[in-house]
Order: sequence, then structure tokens, then C-alpha cells
Amino acid sequence: MMNLFAGKVLIVDLTTGQLSKEPLRMDWAREYWGSFGLATRYYWDAVTPDVDPLSAENALVIMPGVLTGTIVPMTGRTSMTSKSPLTGTIFNTNVGGAFGPELKFAGYDGIVIKGRSASPVFLKIVDDEVSLESAEALTGKGIFETEKSLEEAAGTPDAKCLVIGPAGEKQIPYAIVGSDAYRQMGRAGGGALFGSKNLKGIVCRGTGAVSVADMEAFQKKVTYYKETNLFDELNLGSNTDGTPILVDITNEVGVLPVRNFTQGSTPQAGKINSDAIKAVKQGDRGCATCPLACGKFTRIGDARVEGPEYEALALAGANCDVYDMETIIRYNSLCDDLGLDIMSCANTIALAMEITESGRGDLELKFGDVDFYKVVTEIALLSTERGRDLALGAKRLAEKYHSTDMSMEVKGLEIPAYDPRGNYGMGVAYATSERGACHLRAFTLFAEDPFNTSALVAEVQAMQDFSSIKWSMGFCEFWFTLDTAILADLLTVGLGEEITAEELDRAGERIWNLNRLFNVANGFTCKEDSLPEKVLKRKLENAGPAEGRVFSASDFEAAKQYYYGLRNWDENGIPSATKIAELGLEAFAS
Amino acid sequence: MKKLLFAKPDLCTGCNRCSYACSAAKEGVYRPSRSRVHINNYALEGCSAPSVCFQCPGASCLKACPAIAISRNEDDVVVVDAEKCTGCGDCVSACPYGMIELNDDSCAYKCDTCDGDPVCVKECQPGALVFQEKSPEIVKIKALQMKQRSTTGTAREKRQKLGSAVMQAALETRG
Repeated sequence: MMNLFAGKVLIVDLTTGQLSKEPLRMDWAREYWGSFGLATRYYWDAVTPDVDPLSAENALVIMPGVLTGTIVPMTGRTSMTSKSPLTGTIFNTNVGGAFGPELKFAGYDGIVIKGRSASPVFLKIVDDEVSLESAEALTGKGIFETEKSLEEAAGTPDAKCLVIGPAGEKQIPYAIVGSDAYRQMGRAGGGALFGSKNLKGIVCRGTGAVSVADMEAFQKKVTYYKETNLFDELNLGSNTDGTPILVDITNEVGVLPVRNFTQGSTPQAGKINSDAIKAVKQGDRGCATCPLACGKFTRIGDARVEGPEYEALALAGANCDVYDMETIIRYNSLCDDLGLDIMSCANTIALAMEITESGRGDLELKFGDVDFYKVVTEIALLSTERGRDLALGAKRLAEKYHSTDMSMEVKGLEIPAYDPRGNYGMGVAYATSERGACHLRAFTLFAEDPFNTSALVAEVQAMQDFSSIKWSMGFCEFWFTLDTAILADLLTVGLGEEITAEELDRAGERIWNLNRLFNVANGFTCKEDSLPEKVLKRKLENAGPAEGRVFSASDFEAAKQYYYGLRNWDENGIPSATKIAELGLEAFAS
Repeated sequence: MKKLLFAKPDLCTGCNRCSYACSAAKEGVYRPSRSRVHINNYALEGCSAPSVCFQCPGASCLKACPAIAISRNEDDVVVVDAEKCTGCGDCVSACPYGMIELNDDSCAYKCDTCDGDPVCVKECQPGALVFQEKSPEIVKIKALQMKQRSTTGTAREKRQKLGSAVMQAALETRG
């Protein structure tokens, strides 16, 4: 057995039904590590950049991180790289829970899925035994029930799953892949990709081990960093409050989306903030190896969910002008079960509310309607005209109703719950992420000056590169004080060979640029690194310190060009020959 | 008074740090399936129920062992003598809670509380696993959990049965 790595990748061809195990490409692993980085490297090898996302030719690469399966806190994540049906870009989406460790314990560093099955199937992995099984009986079933069925098929409730609901089967472009009931590969349509391949899910049980070079030394390092670094006040908010703590913060600084990003704060925030969550909280929930347990399990009557997280509270709450916790819990739970991204879905619903109230169309949705969550079923099942409209996502819905001035998306991915008019760094982050409007790759909410673009752009670039290597190890967002020196120390002891922070910094930048080059090869340039018209032109209302702000086209363009310059990309956003050579990416340049 | 290992299911977040730490200490690798403590996770219900060895008075595993490889030490902990174990598996069938199993070398293994300093407890941030002297609260928790005895099924199935009952009880307490 190798240290940290399992040493094998499972290759699944759904067209032929062939399953094979290949040795891990260690030459790639040393440049791209795991998860985000390595999955992107394998993905590039499996397709051509112009591949149709929903075709049999597209591939899905699912990989846990290098540290996944060890006790290093918060390393339980698994990600998938593919091409998004929502944005047409390459995208990586990751999920917590415990699927990733289970896959490593079964003996695999990843799964590459190609082709398309003629009929619905699920992939069953029990250690060495892998098979494709009929999923006919599960067609139309929700994620909760599907997971139970797949655990039974694997013979133990210890098995972990990645599955889709009806929304994924119907290839709705913002369908999710669910795991452990309430956790998701949430953004940019991974569920639709499973659906396009007739793949209802994956179930895995692993009883093997992940080893390290020196267990005693490794355990000591982990305990040291946990106690001296992780248990810092900056990180402990995840334990005491979880993401709902952000409601009061964004409301205060005027970037909480209210009424489809018309306003930046609301006097009613107290009804959906962390205190409101605590009032209905049942207990804390943690992903594999996480001592902080940011998941807050809530219940009101028969409505229950792990969450709602900040994004649901803001996008399904304030952005729909709804401040009823039970409605938000019901909305969240329905999305989780039927298989829709709570963010894209709520953002699209808020757009439909604005379209309806403006009289440009009638989608029978009004701001403040506490019953709005019922539309989720219509969307997931495509059962009504309205449901089919909303299933288009914000970009296509706005186009259909001639309302692109109202839609809030970048490259087709609906904007998260931080209005970029009140924090320009978030705007640059949305515009330059590989998958469209994403708040995870860089997060500048806590920057000293939310309008100092040069400082913010530098922060965005640094965070994108660091996120790239951090995710490749399997970490989540919430170890805020983590750095590549700590990663290098853990890897050195875990692998039994010297790894430096510098090579990890370089790997992060390499991974970011590799993703960029895929999009460039697919025709994306500076033109697509855009922000919505609403952000550029319409003044933010009721927004405290961000009152009346826009992120003007000229300010945004200047910030973007500054970003390209920092990255040593040309004015079209294409990595320069010197940067490509420096990172060893010549083989991927167009 | 002697300390014992107990689990408070209402505090368990399901993170499994205990089982990672246990396997690291006992097996030298991260291998939760060979841990001496197990977490039964009920993600949908938002609940987790740890399975720990109760070091039962009148331990079924000890009574069942034909090789007299299982004994009770001075700390009241039920321990396996690997030298004497023949791998017959009678203890596995006998334990009503699924807390003793055979390893890859057909040798029985179970929780020995790490000689009075259990690594799982040190990793349990939410305080769901405790190692302390008996208190009225702990006697009550233990009695409730020990009621869920299984006479058939695999060790995993027995843990699942106990876990489900503990989970149901926890959900009722939450109201």
C-alpha cells in the first residue's frame, strides 16, 4: 500500500459496461495532487474541450483529496470535474459527508466515468468488487429513498452514496448530486450529467485502510495543528453558528440579496439569522473527521433539514422577501430530496418574482409568498409550464422573458448571496471563476475596504490559487487559518518525503491555469468574464455602506485587466506563453 | 472508583474522529472498519449513535470463549489474549451489541479502553464519548442502551439495531 494514496483509479465505461482498475498516474499526482487538481488533469485526458456536456462522449471524474481518509480535520471532501450543462465551462463541484473516505478505504483515488448506459444503472463498489446494477426500480425516486435503497444493495448502512433525484434524471441544468441526505455536489449541474449517462448513483463500502509513513509523528502533527491553529477564534464560528452567522454580517454591510438583488439589507434579517436557526436547532452535524460540525440540523413540525445554510436563508429567504423559517426549511429539504441546487433554484425563483411583478410575464410567483417552495416539485418533475420555465435557470429564463437586465448570473451560473455592488472583490471572483458566479474560489467579504479594487483583486488571485491546492487535499472552506506551510508539513510526514510550501503554491497556480486553459480552448475569453447588467448599472438600494453603489462597467473592466496582469495573462484573459512555460502547461495551450 | 467509557448520542455529530483515532492507535493505519468504537450515522434523521463496548458485568463474550482467551483485568475491562485466541468466533456470536469481531488474522479484537486512556475520547470534540466514573446520569444512559440486546445477526447488524433504538430515543427526547 502507498502512503496517503490508494494507488488505483476505477474506470467505468457505461456504454460497454466495462469496469477496469488502472494504477494511479503518480506523475500527474505530483503536479496536481488530488480532487480538484488531479480530477481536472484526468478530465482533460478523457475528453476534448469542445465536448457536449450531456453527450456520451463527456466524462465525469470523481476524486477525493490526498488527505481524505486520514484524521486531518475537515478533509472528507470529494469532488467531480466535468463540463457543465449550465455554463458550458469546465467545472469542479465538491461534497462533504463521508463518500470520499469510503472510496479511499475501498482502494480508489478516483473514478472516471465515460459513455452512456442504455438503461438506468447504479455503480456498486464494495472494496475490490465493482459492478453495474439495474436502477430501473429507482427511476423517479428522491435522493433520500435512493440512498437507503443503495445502502441495502451494498449490504450495509455504512455504505456511502452519490445519487441523483428526479431533477437529475430529467437533466435539469442545475440538478445536484446528493450524499448523506442533505449534502450536495451542488453547483453547475452535476446531477444532470449523471442523468445524461443514465447513472442513478454510486454506492461505496470500503473496509480497507489509508496509511501514512510515520503514524505516530503524523498523529502528533495533526493534534498540534488542530489545537494550535484550527481551534482559533477565527475558525470556531463554524462550530458555534455555522454559515447562518453570515446573515447579520451581510445585512450589516449591505450585500444581503433582498428582492432579487434589488436591495442590500432588510429590517427582517433577525427572522432568518443564526439566532433564528438556534431557536429551531436539534443538533450539530459534522462531515467525516470534522471536529467543528458546522451543520445545524433544524426541525419545525414535520419539516426538517440539515441546514438551512446561509445561502438558503439569504436566497430562498431575503431574496424572495420571505422571512418564514418553516418555508425555508421546506424549500431546502425539497430541493435536497428532488435534487435541485438550492442556490440556482432560489435565485431563478426570485427572478421569476421580479419578472411577474414587473408585468413582463406571469409566472404566478410574488415576493413574500410563503408558499413559493411548492414550485420546487413542478421544477424538478417538469410537470407544469411554469416549472419548465424555471428549470431553464436564470440566464435562459431571463432571455425568454426579455429580462436580462434583471437576471443575476455569470456564464449562466446564478450568483450566490453576496451582492458584488457592495463588495467588488466578490464581483471579480464571480467573473473569473472557472464555472461562473462562485463564492468559494475566492471570498473577499471580510476585506478591509470592499471597494479597493487593486487590493481585492490581489486577494482574489491569492485565494483562487490557495483554494485550488487546498481542495486538492480534500479540505472544506472553513479552516480559514490553514496555509501551504501546514499542508507541506502534513504531506512530508504522511508521504515520508520532503514536500515544500513553494511547490504546493506553484501547484495551486498550475491547477487554476489548467482550468482556465480548458475554457480558453473552448472559446471562452475576457468577454465571458462578465458581470450582470444589474450589477453594472442598477443602483443598489437600502444597502447601508453600499447604498446607491454599482460596480460600473469601467471600474469592473479596469479591475479585470488588473487581475489578468497579476496572473500574467494577456488582455483577452489568455495565459501568456511565459506563464504557461513556468507552470509546465505547454501541452494544454491552444 | 473505576472509570468507564460511555456514549451520549445526543451530542454525537457523526464525524467519526473516534474511529479514525482508534484504528490509528490499534492498527497503525486509518481504518474505521477495524475501529473498536463505531458510529451509527442516521444522516436523514440528523442523528448519530456511537457504539461502545459496555465492558458488561457477566460479559457474554467472556463466557462464550472456549479457549479462555477473554478475561477481565484489574480495571474491570474485558480483554482478549491474542496468543490464546483460536479465532472460533463464538465471542462474536455471543456479544449482544456487536462490539467484538475477528480481524484479518482471525483473532478477536475489542475495546480495551487503551489502558485507561482512550484515544477516542480525546478526539471527541462534542463530548459525546466520555470516560469517567459512574454517575446517576451515566448509569441511566448505559442501562437504556444495554436493554437493546440482539441474539442473532452479524456484529454490524447488532450495532445497527442498538443504534436505531438509541436514535429513536434521542429523537423522542428532542420532541
